[in-house]
Amino acid sequence: MITKNNTTKISRVIAALAFMAVILLPTACTNLLNQPSTVEVPTNQFWHTENDATIALNGAYSAVRPCFDRDYYFDGHGEFLLMNFNSLAGNNPYSGCTFTTPIGYGASFDNYYQYLYAAVIRTNYVIINVNQMLQNNTSFTASSVANLQSIMGEASLLRALVYFRLMCLWGDVPYFETVPSGIGENNTIYSTLPRTSISDIKDKIIADLTNAYNTLPVKKVGAGRGSKPAALALRGKVQLFWACWNKFGWPELSTFTPDFTQATAAYTAAVADFNAVINNFGLNLYQNGAPGQIDALGAASVLPNYFLLFMPAASNDFAGNTEFIMSFNHGTTNTGQGEELMREFGTRTNQSGQGGTKPRSALADRYQLLTTGDFAPPIVRGNPAPTSDANNTVIPPATPNHALNPQTYANRDYRMKSTFLWNFEQILGSSGLKSTGMSPFIYGNNAQSIKINSPTPNYVTVNADNNNTGYVARKFIRNYVGQDRSDGDFSWPVIRLADVYLMYAEATNELSGPQAGAIALVNKIRARGNLPALAGSKTASYAAFFSAIEQERIVELWAEGMRAFDLRRWRTYEKAWDPAGTNNGTDVRDTKNNITATYFRNASPLNYQQCYIYKIPQSERNRNPNLTQNTPWL
Amino acid sequence: MTQTLLSSLKRALYALAFLCLLCTHHLYAQGLVVSGTVKDEAGLALPGVTISVKGTTTGTVTDAEGKYSLSVPDAESVMVFSFIGYKSKEVTAGQQSTIDIVLAADVSTLSEVVVVGYGTQEKVNMTGAVGAIKFDEKMTSRALPNLSSGLAGLIPGLTATQASGMAGNSNAQLLIRGLGSVNNAGPLIVVDNVPDIDMNLVNFNDVVSISVLKDAASAAIYGSRGANGVILITTKSGKGLQKTSITYNGSYGVSNPTKSPSLLADYPRALTLEDRTAATGTLPASLPFKNGTIDQWMAMGMVDPLRFPNTNWWDVILRTGSIANHSLSITGGNDRSNFFLSASIMKQKGLQINNDYTRSNLRFSYDYKLNKNMNTGIKVAGTWSDNVFALPEGFTQNLADNTAGEDLQYAIAGITPYDPTTGYFGGAMAYGENVQAYNPYTQYVNRLNHQNRQEVYPQIYFDWTPIKGLTAGVVYNMNYYNQLAWNADTPNQAYNFQTNSFGSRVYVATNAGVTQTTSTGFKTQLNGRLNYTTKIATHHDLSALFIYSEEYWDDRTQTGSRLDRLYPALHELDAAIGTQSVGGNSSTEGLRSYIGRVNYNAFGKYLLELTGRYDGSSKFLPGHQYGFFPAVSAGWRFKEEAFMSNFTWLSNGKLRASYGSLGNISGVGRTQQQSTLQAGHYMSDPSTIAKGLVNSKLLNLDLTWEATTVLDIGVELGFLNNRLTTEFDYYDRLTTGMLLPTSLSILLSGAYSAPQQNIGNLRNRGVELTIGWRDMIGDKISYSIRANGSYNANYIEQWSGYLGRGATPNGNYTFLNMPYNYVYTYVDNGIAQTWQDVYNATPQGAQPGDILRQDLNGDGKIDENDRKALPTASRDRNNFNYGITANISYKGFDLQVLLQGASGRKDFWLNDYNNVNPSTTRYAFSPQQWTNPWSLDNRNGPWPRLGGSGNNTAQTTFWLDNMAYMRVKNVQIGYKIPTNILNRIKVTSCRIYASADNLFTITKYRGLDPEKTSASRDTYPLLQTISFGASITY
Repeated sequence: MITKNNTTKISRVIAALAFMAVILLPTACTNLLNQPSTVEVPTNQFWHTENDATIALNGAYSAVRPCFDRDYYFDGHGEFLLMNFNSLAGNNPYSGCTFTTPIGYGASFDNYYQYLYAAVIRTNYVIINVNQMLQNNTSFTASSVANLQSIMGEASLLRALVYFRLMCLWGDVPYFETVPSGIGENNTIYSTLPRTSISDIKDKIIADLTNAYNTLPVKKVGAGRGSKPAALALRGKVQLFWACWNKFGWPELSTFTPDFTQATAAYTAAVADFNAVINNFGLNLYQNGAPGQIDALGAASVLPNYFLLFMPAASNDFAGNTEFIMSFNHGTTNTGQGEELMREFGTRTNQSGQGGTKPRSALADRYQLLTTGDFAPPIVRGNPAPTSDANNTVIPPATPNHALNPQTYANRDYRMKSTFLWNFEQILGSSGLKSTGMSPFIYGNNAQSIKINSPTPNYVTVNADNNNTGYVARKFIRNYVGQDRSDGDFSWPVIRLADVYLMYAEATNELSGPQAGAIALVNKIRARGNLPALAGSKTASYAAFFSAIEQERIVELWAEGMRAFDLRRWRTYEKAWDPAGTNNGTDVRDTKNNITATYFRNASPLNYQQCYIYKIPQSERNRNPNLTQNTPWL
Repeated sequence: MTQTLLSSLKRALYALAFLCLLCTHHLYAQGLVVSGTVKDEAGLALPGVTISVKGTTTGTVTDAEGKYSLSVPDAESVMVFSFIGYKSKEVTAGQQSTIDIVLAADVSTLSEVVVVGYGTQEKVNMTGAVGAIKFDEKMTSRALPNLSSGLAGLIPGLTATQASGMAGNSNAQLLIRGLGSVNNAGPLIVVDNVPDIDMNLVNFNDVVSISVLKDAASAAIYGSRGANGVILITTKSGKGLQKTSITYNGSYGVSNPTKSPSLLADYPRALTLEDRTAATGTLPASLPFKNGTIDQWMAMGMVDPLRFPNTNWWDVILRTGSIANHSLSITGGNDRSNFFLSASIMKQKGLQINNDYTRSNLRFSYDYKLNKNMNTGIKVAGTWSDNVFALPEGFTQNLADNTAGEDLQYAIAGITPYDPTTGYFGGAMAYGENVQAYNPYTQYVNRLNHQNRQEVYPQIYFDWTPIKGLTAGVVYNMNYYNQLAWNADTPNQAYNFQTNSFGSRVYVATNAGVTQTTSTGFKTQLNGRLNYTTKIATHHDLSALFIYSEEYWDDRTQTGSRLDRLYPALHELDAAIGTQSVGGNSSTEGLRSYIGRVNYNAFGKYLLELTGRYDGSSKFLPGHQYGFFPAVSAGWRFKEEAFMSNFTWLSNGKLRASYGSLGNISGVGRTQQQSTLQAGHYMSDPSTIAKGLVNSKLLNLDLTWEATTVLDIGVELGFLNNRLTTEFDYYDRLTTGMLLPTSLSILLSGAYSAPQQNIGNLRNRGVELTIGWRDMIGDKISYSIRANGSYNANYIEQWSGYLGRGATPNGNYTFLNMPYNYVYTYVDNGIAQTWQDVYNATPQGAQPGDILRQDLNGDGKIDENDRKALPTASRDRNNFNYGITANISYKGFDLQVLLQGASGRKDFWLNDYNNVNPSTTRYAFSPQQWTNPWSLDNRNGPWPRLGGSGNNTAQTTFWLDNMAYMRVKNVQIGYKIPTNILNRIKVTSCRIYASADNLFTITKYRGLDPEKTSASRDTYPLLQTISFGASITY
């Protein structure tokens, strides 16, 4: 009896266990602890095909592009552009950097430094892995090898661009061509890297660009892609900067000793490269440099070619428009890659733009008269402001040369109307992707219903709620509707032919004074604004021609991120902001003559020094004992 | 030896089995009928008392007059009378046919059975630190929008911080024993043995009890998920019931702000303040507003409110809130089965216009006895909720990158909210005013967010007891959710009533579209369980539990949006024709666990418990997936020792200690440890995306669990026949290897998201004390008072990353031997009254009217190095928390008061609404900004001057407030209608009640509410709710 019971009990226990096992086993066998990502690509399935290399190159582009496509901010450090507002996301390279004043910004660029190095790593990643593919797999066909080498060349071009920017802002910086493989030791390697001298970095950049030149196609395969002329033009630019540093000096970089011989050699090399870009590839200015048509004062239905050049259509037409030698593409709605030029330059009237970037009032005086080809009488600022009659019709002042009198802007360089709006100039408004019609800009009169040559209200003024200069931009703002303020598809130029013409002129002028070829190129650019050729007096001497070149650079390249770099390499910050040299600085005024800011008054030499070189990020110096600081920031 | 033990075990079992057989036999013997009345000590009849015959399933329940009638097998039958809140009584039937019973109120909590992880335990035999509350009518009578809000002040060591009164978003933040981790430090919530259920979606009328597992001994059974404590919620079932009963509980309450923010409803004054702010650096001619503008507004405002409004926004956007709660439940059972069914609806109208929340709940549970040793059953709960709100925090959105101007600080008084005649929403009108000024009314009317969520939790179980003491069971459950969040804004534009034209701000563009986000997912859990209990010899109770568990999560979201709706009232994607975009994502996770527990109880006084859990998670790579979390605890009921028998004043005494480890993987992402490439696209032409991939992941292969070890020592004492009870706990909790992103070199941090690293150790130490007193005054008035308090101190003990002065990894001030997010502040010397004050202070760019800060390090300049750290205060948490509950009842009346308070937290009162350097246009001033800022005419003003030095808004002690508070959390008065009245309408019991929540608060904090955590923008007040209700049982 006991035995039987015992057996029953044991069998029941076994049954219970078996019951559990039967229920649980089938599920237990499934791979519960292996749950791969559903939206990311496993690394071990990558780097096998040519296509993988292209995909990785695109990845590198996606990291380099955001470091350069808002370079217009840098013009905020110059005299002609005010950037007083942006709404950048925290992971944007430009985020947190000060562009709102031309003084005291150099310590705020840690974020930019960080993302430039991210771009370095992305390009290194492509170069290293494609190189490995070529070494590991010998079965690639000749055309595949050429393609892979071209991809490496394109990555080298991007890397050169990034290191060049690092070098321009911080001088000596850590240089590496590796990527980390994990944390721990690797982190230690990168946090102990010392700074490499700009001389060495320059050589590396030249080597990268030479490699790029050797492997890249003559014509780019897409608007935003690399090509031989891009590599050459950038190499020439690097040589030009290197020449400037050696000629004008860079005293804030204590490790650098200028050398005139080096300067001459570099100018010569730059001239050679620019010369090749200009002559060997059939590149031409947009619409052959023709000025195009222009509308009457106020109207804006027909706009000059210079305006059209900065529209997405021209920027993306890489077969028809060869002026954009190197540019970064953007995508329109739903691509997640739109540019925000309309948001940054446009006003509330333009798809609710925020108008954070606009011309300073000093810019207007820079546009020469079509009649004389020289400067107009200085613009008078101040009251009388526009008045209005009982019917709310706005009447501009009639004072000649007055900033608020539209007639002041008659007969000017076509690029003026293409670049910005003064009082009563109109721009196409849109809201909710639909046109709201033409809207006149009247400084201080935002979004008001007004009458222009009409008994009833016929216009609503531009809502420039963020404006304090008296002008708002037109350049870069699309003159058609359908895309939102952050959905622009403009291909942002990093180097364009007009810049190369001017750099060529500058380099030849440095080597041997004004040359006929160089003068012709400058005149070609002036012709785009429908200006007559330079008068003889403007090309009579090195200094006069230098001024003429600088003038063209200011007008032609406004808001393309060149001005501050020019001021630095020419060492003319002091001249730009304290022209009299009295240490009074400059009062910045709006068109009504209100002082909106005063810069560099009683500025110390240190203030200027800190404009010439940026501060090495302190957070990194806290961890890296080998990272020295630039002298003005000690 | 083993052989002998085994055979004696067997014999014992057989003996027991034999006894059982005998008992069964008795069931079928000839019976006799016993009847009588059950009353309480006050002589009132007790309806609903359960009477069962011991050892059988026979039983009955007393009727409305307390009468019962029951047939028992024979004279030796023992009848058990039991009723919640009263001591059970056992009576042998004998030969009497009438037995009247008086049940004594149960003033002791000793016989309490507490729900613990995967089971229950008698409180006297517990060795872990578990706080438990029974969810009685005092809880369900409160007008609570959710369960978590009701937990404040009840359990020592559990803090429930209420940060907002927003309808649908007012759950309290729960923390057990302080901040245990810099990652997710919230406790694991388990409802009816199912983890990962949002407790705020549970109908609290369904809840029976809540247990809070605080130490390693009690929480180790939840292993890698238990590091921050566990909250176990048990819902009602029909178990043990014989009679069917229906209960309705309904209440309605009205809510008002505990404290209301205020805005200056006087636009000319606001414009004057704008000018005053700007005047610091501006010539009078260039001030933003002309005197004419201000004067005109002042004059015209009195006669033409449409064109010259002085809007009091709080009148426009605030309303009296309300909360209505209706819950109906039916329960019943018989020998073989029982059920519980409930349905409820909760409707809450928030204080903000158009902020509404509705939650409906259903619950069904059914148990069936297949035969004498097999049970099966099902539980299904479902919840449906609809939430409508304007902005994530109600009135505001506290995002640093929200620059859209949708914030109350831009809500100037000079805007007409809405003109019903024209149907237009107003915008800025004054000359010089920023046209981007904000009309919150249009936001709260035309830009609403909708969130509809459904959750269902089915659960089935089967268990089998093949031999006595051994139970095998399997439970399978699923948590399913589906949520649709959508918004479809109504186009509208700011209207200028002065010029009768549109033209300024477009609030919603005409091509407004619809955005819909669907989140759906499920979580399954399979548990196989073996349970064995036995008695060895007479005095050794042993029980063992083994569980195999698999958990699997699968979540996905899909978003679609499309511009240009056909018609404003439509809100589906097909009802729009413009640009569309879509997105979607999914992720999965698996967790496999082996769980074991052994309890040993010798002589009813020596207690030992061993717990262990072995967890494997898919979040880690093979080879690193498994972690083991053991705990050991012991208890000594010293009062049971012979030598204690003389201490009659002591009725209970227990000493317990536990030590063990727990884990936390919440800081690790689901695919974080997988080597993958991420999207980084480029454009090949303007409309074609060129596929791109980047490697933005650095893997930390050494990553391990965040582990917590806890030592807990507790003493439980009962005095004077357990009228006075105390419980004291000391704990020392060390969290090691806390996961935080590695501090990467700046050369890498742009390209790689910083991998997690086991970076630091955090220690929490604290004590908890509960004192309870229960007694009667005379024989009619019973009362009780229960106070609990807890003190917790946390500090960073070790950190493997670089910690500089004022370092804020993860955005919190972190330093060794300092509390996490400690207070780091400048010290001020008050407001400079004269230039002499300024000259006497260290140069800091101040003028009279500015705050003067102290040069703490004496280096002649004020900079970061002059900030001082307060070593005890945290900015986020109080370290002393307490609660007092007092009850008194007399006849049918009862009164309850709940006080709750906290201290130790300090934070800066600096927000967008008390800014002394506001923007000089479109700023919505508060009345205090008119009266408080220092000026030559107001030298005693408590604030620095308007538009002064930027340092006036720096974090100085000037703005540092003590966040201590004491709050009358709830006052409740109830009346039980006597049974003799109820009998006439066949109602078993009925209680009517009135309840007041957040009646008043004592605090020195100058801001909105000391419980609020995000202080910079959020202005949603907490609710003060007065409610009335009734609970009726048939």
